[in-house]
Amino acid sequence: MTENPDAVETDAAPPPAGRVLDAHLHVLDRQVLDRDDVPVTTADDLELDGIEVGARIEPGSPPPTVAAILTGPQLLMRLFGGHAPASRTIRIPWRLVSEVGTVIHLGVAGETLDATWAERWVSRHIIGRIPGGRHAPE
Amino acid sequence: MLLSDLLDSDAVDADGRRVGAVIDVRLEVSGAPRQLLADAVVTGLLVSPHSRFSTWGYERRDENGPLLIAKFQRWLHRGTFLVLWDDVEKVDQGRVVFRRGYTARDAALPRAPRER
Repeated sequence: MTENPDAVETDAAPPPAGRVLDAHLHVLDRQVLDRDDVPVTTADDLELDGIEVGARIEPGSPPPTVAAILTGPQLLMRLFGGHAPASRTIRIPWRLVSEVGTVIHLGVAGETLDATWAERWVSRHIIGRIPGGRHAPE
Repeated sequence: MLLSDLLDSDAVDADGRRVGAVIDVRLEVSGAPRQLLADAVVTGLLVSPHSRFSTWGYERRDENGPLLIAKFQRWLHRGTFLVLWDDVEKVDQGRVVFRRGYTARDAALPRAPRER
């Protein structure tokens, strides 16, 4: 046990039971790709389940888990502070993540996610109205 | 709670003494199994006594290049330590309180299997 955290001598961390990630270092700002390697968005923040602000954490209580990757206006909130209203927050549930590496891979198609609504809107209402905009170039 | 609410928080001991700032949150992909990937569980907080920002994590890896940046980052984050989640007593807005007699652990990241 180390009384003074400045001391160099620290206990070793216990051996990990799974892949170890540092959230800021390995997840934030990484590009998110769908199952076909199509870019979806970037990871602007993470939603953590199981932390109650101001409440004492009982010893032995289950640790918090990552509930979702947040994107959209969340980057501005992270940089300048504050929280986006829940209705404006775009969530990608962690259960859709298939791999975390240089990029974050999802196991689903990007077009099924709320995170790509702007692209779908532009495609339908702007690109789709341009003559020839509804089919692939020949 | 959002990750960004935890990052940059003051880390204080049970007596209210500031011991540093939370610069990162350690996760482990070892929770409940899912179809694609297991749940990511928070296992600890990384605390730097001298800086609120850690960009490249040199203090957690044995990466040495570019040498000048590596040296500067290691100096800036000297004394960075890991506190396991079990040693966290309370999370307030902008402040994390550790339990009395918490253990400061080595912040180094375990090597990936292919690097061993």
